[in-house]
Amino acid sequence: MDILNPYNLQVLTFILLNSILAISIYITLSTGQLSLGHAGFMSIGAFTASILTKQADMPLFIAIIIGGLVAGLIALLIGAPTLKLHGLYLAIATLGFGEVIRVILLNMEITNGALGLTGLQSIGNYLYDFEKAMGLKAQTFGISVMQMKSLSTFVFMLLLFAFVLFLTLRLNRSRLGRAFEAIKADETAARAMGLQVGYYKMLAFVIGSILAGVCGGLFAHITTTITPDDFNYHKVVEILSYAVIGGSEVVWGPLFGALILTALPEVLRGLAEYKMLMYGLIMVGVMAFRPHGLIGADTFQKLFKRRRGKSTDKDAKGGV
Amino acid sequence: MKGFHLMRSLAAISLGAVLMVGCSSGGNTSAPAAGEGGSGQAASTDEQEIQAKIGVVGFLSGSGAAYGEAQKAGLELALGELNEANKGKLKIELKFEDSAGEKEGAINAVNKLINQDNVVAIIGPTLSGEMFAAGPVANEAETPIFGISNTSEGINDIGEYVFRNSLPESIAIPTAMKAAVEKNGLKKVALIHASNDDFSVNGYKVMKATAEKLGLEITGEATFANGDVDFSAQLTKLKQTNPDALLVSALYKEGSMVVKKARELGFTGTILGGNGFNNPKVFEIAGPAAEGLIVATPFSPEKKDDKVQAFVKAFEAKYNKKPDQFAAQAYDSLYIMSQSLLAAGKAEREELRGQLAQLRDFTGVSGKLSFDEKRNPIGDAVVVVAKEGKFVPFE
Repeated sequence: MDILNPYNLQVLTFILLNSILAISIYITLSTGQLSLGHAGFMSIGAFTASILTKQADMPLFIAIIIGGLVAGLIALLIGAPTLKLHGLYLAIATLGFGEVIRVILLNMEITNGALGLTGLQSIGNYLYDFEKAMGLKAQTFGISVMQMKSLSTFVFMLLLFAFVLFLTLRLNRSRLGRAFEAIKADETAARAMGLQVGYYKMLAFVIGSILAGVCGGLFAHITTTITPDDFNYHKVVEILSYAVIGGSEVVWGPLFGALILTALPEVLRGLAEYKMLMYGLIMVGVMAFRPHGLIGADTFQKLFKRRRGKSTDKDAKGGV
Repeated sequence: MKGFHLMRSLAAISLGAVLMVGCSSGGNTSAPAAGEGGSGQAASTDEQEIQAKIGVVGFLSGSGAAYGEAQKAGLELALGELNEANKGKLKIELKFEDSAGEKEGAINAVNKLINQDNVVAIIGPTLSGEMFAAGPVANEAETPIFGISNTSEGINDIGEYVFRNSLPESIAIPTAMKAAVEKNGLKKVALIHASNDDFSVNGYKVMKATAEKLGLEITGEATFANGDVDFSAQLTKLKQTNPDALLVSALYKEGSMVVKKARELGFTGTILGGNGFNNPKVFEIAGPAAEGLIVATPFSPEKKDDKVQAFVKAFEAKYNKKPDQFAAQAYDSLYIMSQSLLAAGKAEREELRGQLAQLRDFTGVSGKLSFDEKRNPIGDAVVVVAKEGKFVPFE
């Protein structure tokens, strides 16, 4: 029953939210583009969705989807000039974009400037209203209303995450995914093979941005309050570190990164003052042992091979 | 070489595994603790001594850790005194959680305290933004949450279970402005504020509304951003409009630099600041330019009041430094909690909320306090003026 504790469910919800964000950075990275604009796209999605639910009373999920689409539309406009850039130049251009968005949001009337938007609808309440209308009450399951709300949010996020992950895995094995991989490996060679490099790069950028926008909308309606400063440079680093810590070769890498980086501060809560110290040590440890991230393309293969290989070897290593 | 690679990947995976194990065992060990807390509370009702576990969410690590640390110090001082004074009647236990100044951190901390540690009430979180995110969670769980440093408008609108003893800017700033208008005969004012900071914008809005209410002429307005270091353009422009006073709404760092620059440019009128100036660092940054700066504060260690002086003495004895308003309001909050818990007669969330809502004329180190029907604090702010490197009451 402990799993139904709202605290655990809340942490799991944040893990799932950050996992979707991790997928969004992974998709952009899968064409070899280092975009630091994800926090910017997230804020566009967050503010669009929040204004739609708060001012226009739009249904929550439609507002979140529109938020994602607006972020994608802006990505299309921003992508046209910037995606011609490579590597660090693209990183700097997109970082600048994120800052511009933040400053615009700080100075707009409708976003309430630096004060941001508060008192937004929470996903838990919204879902519970539905469940009540369907005759599903918390008492029926013998849990409290709060547990029911947390559980609803969690299950919704889990389903959404599973859906996004499924699409991503399908994408990886499709014609598109292989094109992304070819571009990541060598852009010139990919172009020589007849791939429309610009088109694929733009596609990856826009998909990543739509996902980031959706995450923004979700974030706004899970925390119920947003300010432009929630999406500043720290958020960019946080999102990027999912891929850096976890690895960016396969989608499991950033997902693992998101899991660790979201769960770690909670797991280390007991250490109080020494929390950040431990956090830093673990980060350094990870980078020292696995400079390309915890999970690489070869991680599963190696594990798999070793299991099928000499069992004596496995036992010997297992003891280490 | 290949073997080495394998070793490394294995090490990484085992590291991951350790983390996961740590995660699950963490959950297990704390679960029985929560159970004990719950049963302890239930059993205590028929016994003499009330056992109350109160959670504290503070900004204990990161850029604003100084605020959280001051609050923690104030709370721990009050805890020692209260448990000594109420021996046999009430035993309070504090459980501190760090929010790192982030919304997710505050939400998680509040959730943990309510659902895992089974606290009867929560004190904190430090920032208004955190309260806007975490307050609804506590309200939903019908647990009283008590803000000790949230000055934004609308905090109490979150819900029935949200309280605060920190005076909103809408009380503190007008008090200071009225005093300054009366004493210094101000007629024309100019405003400057940091536009990218929620706290400063909030203060600015109150200043503007008050100026209009008091019938003051606003000669000019200017903004800057947190992180700016040069304010000459804005201040030169404002000085040309020839105001009697300059109203500054900013955090202490930028605010002090604004004050310094204004004096350097030869502005001789009154300078009045918001709550952000309640920090000894103002004197370090602005130096002699701070002289004459008027600020409203809920607490001044210089106040001639027995209670205040006793608190300052006890605080200095324990921590070897003077308490600031964060420590004072935290200290008061625990006294309010204990008073309400004793009145309720048991450590129960609903009872405690009822008692808190009825609080009238509580006298603490940060002044007198009552709650109105919307649980907004009604209290008086002390207007202080900077004199020779410290704030003294403005008379």
